[in-house]
Amino acid sequence: MAMSVDPSFLLQLALNGLMLGLIYALVAAGLALIFGVLDIINFAHGEILMVGAFAMAFALPAFGGQYLPALLVAVAASAVLGLVLYDGLLVRLRDKDFNGSILITTGVSIVLLYGTQYLFSSTPRMVTTELGFQGVQIGSIRISWTRIVACVIALLAFGVLWLVLFRTQLGRAMRAVAINREAALMVGIQPRSVARHAVLLATVLAGLAGAALAPVHLVQPMMGQFLLFKAFALVVIGGLGSIGGAIVAGLLLGVVESWVGGFFNIIWQETASFVIMIVVLLMRPQGLLGRRNTRAG
Amino acid sequence: MKELAWVVLAIASLALLPLVASDYVIGAAITALTFTVAAACLNIVFGYAGLLSFAQLAFWGIGGYCTALIVVDAGGSFWLGLLAAAALCALLSLIVGWAALRLQRDSFVIVTLSFSLLAFMVARDWVDLTRGPMGLPGLPAPQLFGLSFGSIHAMYWLALGFVVLALGLLYTLATSRIGITLRAIKQNQPLALAHGIAPSPYLLLAFAVSAALTGMAGGVQVFYLKIVDPTMFDMYYAQAWLIMVIIGGAGSFWGVVAAGIVMSVLPEMLRFSNELRMVIYGVILVVVVLILPQGVAGWWRERGITRLRQSLSGDGP
Repeated sequence: MAMSVDPSFLLQLALNGLMLGLIYALVAAGLALIFGVLDIINFAHGEILMVGAFAMAFALPAFGGQYLPALLVAVAASAVLGLVLYDGLLVRLRDKDFNGSILITTGVSIVLLYGTQYLFSSTPRMVTTELGFQGVQIGSIRISWTRIVACVIALLAFGVLWLVLFRTQLGRAMRAVAINREAALMVGIQPRSVARHAVLLATVLAGLAGAALAPVHLVQPMMGQFLLFKAFALVVIGGLGSIGGAIVAGLLLGVVESWVGGFFNIIWQETASFVIMIVVLLMRPQGLLGRRNTRAG
Repeated sequence: MKELAWVVLAIASLALLPLVASDYVIGAAITALTFTVAAACLNIVFGYAGLLSFAQLAFWGIGGYCTALIVVDAGGSFWLGLLAAAALCALLSLIVGWAALRLQRDSFVIVTLSFSLLAFMVARDWVDLTRGPMGLPGLPAPQLFGLSFGSIHAMYWLALGFVVLALGLLYTLATSRIGITLRAIKQNQPLALAHGIAPSPYLLLAFAVSAALTGMAGGVQVFYLKIVDPTMFDMYYAQAWLIMVIIGGAGSFWGVVAAGIVMSVLPEMLRFSNELRMVIYGVILVVVVLILPQGVAGWWRERGITRLRQSLSGDGP
């Protein structure tokens, strides 16, 4: 049976998927960075995104709907949270205590999630900005300004991330710790300072993702949890600890999900990430861009 | 012998609870019992075998659905449903465990977590089988030899009987040679390998037993609630069991059982809202991991050892 597919519909889906994919990539890149440098999985990453979104939701009315100041508030909130997470809790863990890190970040995620529900209820909130609901219309394709801004923010963030990782001493130190912790220690790199900056960078990426997502989707306490689980799958798909792999996998998943959702039952859209993860694990256990026994930033 | 006396005393006093308690308390007690089994199962997988599994949630829900569907759609009995749930969960755990153990230990967490999410989405979206978000309400009371477990008292005794059998099996496993081998693998895998122990069969066995019993606990729970719906896969359950295991002391059998009962009963008595309860649990989790990495049971044991050491050095020459 021949199915006629409208190319502009396909393009519209791809553009929507690309925006979502950029958000996934922001979350997954942060997770991969933390995993690479600290050797731990951050279960509170989704809740940091959620806090970023809530900060955006509260800051926007306070600034009369102005996008940029509210975004800065969201970034500041997630940065503070990241510093508290590292200096208050993670720094106390013994080295190589992988399970301990999961338990602690799970505890933080529980406190943030249910604390937000307790304080602000779990009712989803609509967030409006100065950009309103207008968009750009090209032919039959329509993109809202909030989505375009979200994409620009994500792309800028990736640019900054690349500059930090590949053009600064700090970034070199992060990659060095990720590749070989002992050797990095021997050449005089301070793992704690590097780890603090990695956590800070990753939480700011998550806060940015939450803030960019807030005007596009509904803001609710559970929003981070589900995104995080997808990001876990992305980190596995991209290769544990590979930031580039996580970003590529995030973009791919966003587009694939969008196409699948456009043509098939919704169940396949939601399960796409897990199906892809299982296939990748069976075919290529080291992930798309991962290499065996090495982890590079 | 002393341990056995305590166990008999505990079972006897729990069996007499319906004579004095209100229906509300008994309902809470049934949940406490099934939660305790689930926490004890997680303890075998995490505390003994060292595998941090988030798949227990999937087995709990799948067990609930399987038992309910056998009764409602296949016309089988509740008991057949429980057995089917145990078999299905054990089979699924072997598949998931085999795939997850091929990877590094780090990936085990992510794979098991993804499995739970997948199970939730199947329950919510495969409407033909699971009836979707509405679930299956009005589950009939279990029957045995013409007796009906319709009243909440009868259901409580059923749950208590199940818990005694399940904990007995888990205790036997934990104290057997297999349990000791699991501890050895957790503590030092290269050393265990050097002793000629192949870890995977032991780890898979522990995972399968805990999956089967968690699935049966889920089956008992849904027939107490008389409904099964996708909220069986709420992450809240997994977090609650994890906190029970950590506070009780991972790898300490009775510590986790005690924590399971206390942490199910205490919030009911204090009447916290669910959100506030979870916030407090989360704080306790972080504090215990940082300050008492061996849990309350481990702290108690250490204290005993310290005292013994002090008394010995005091009396010594």
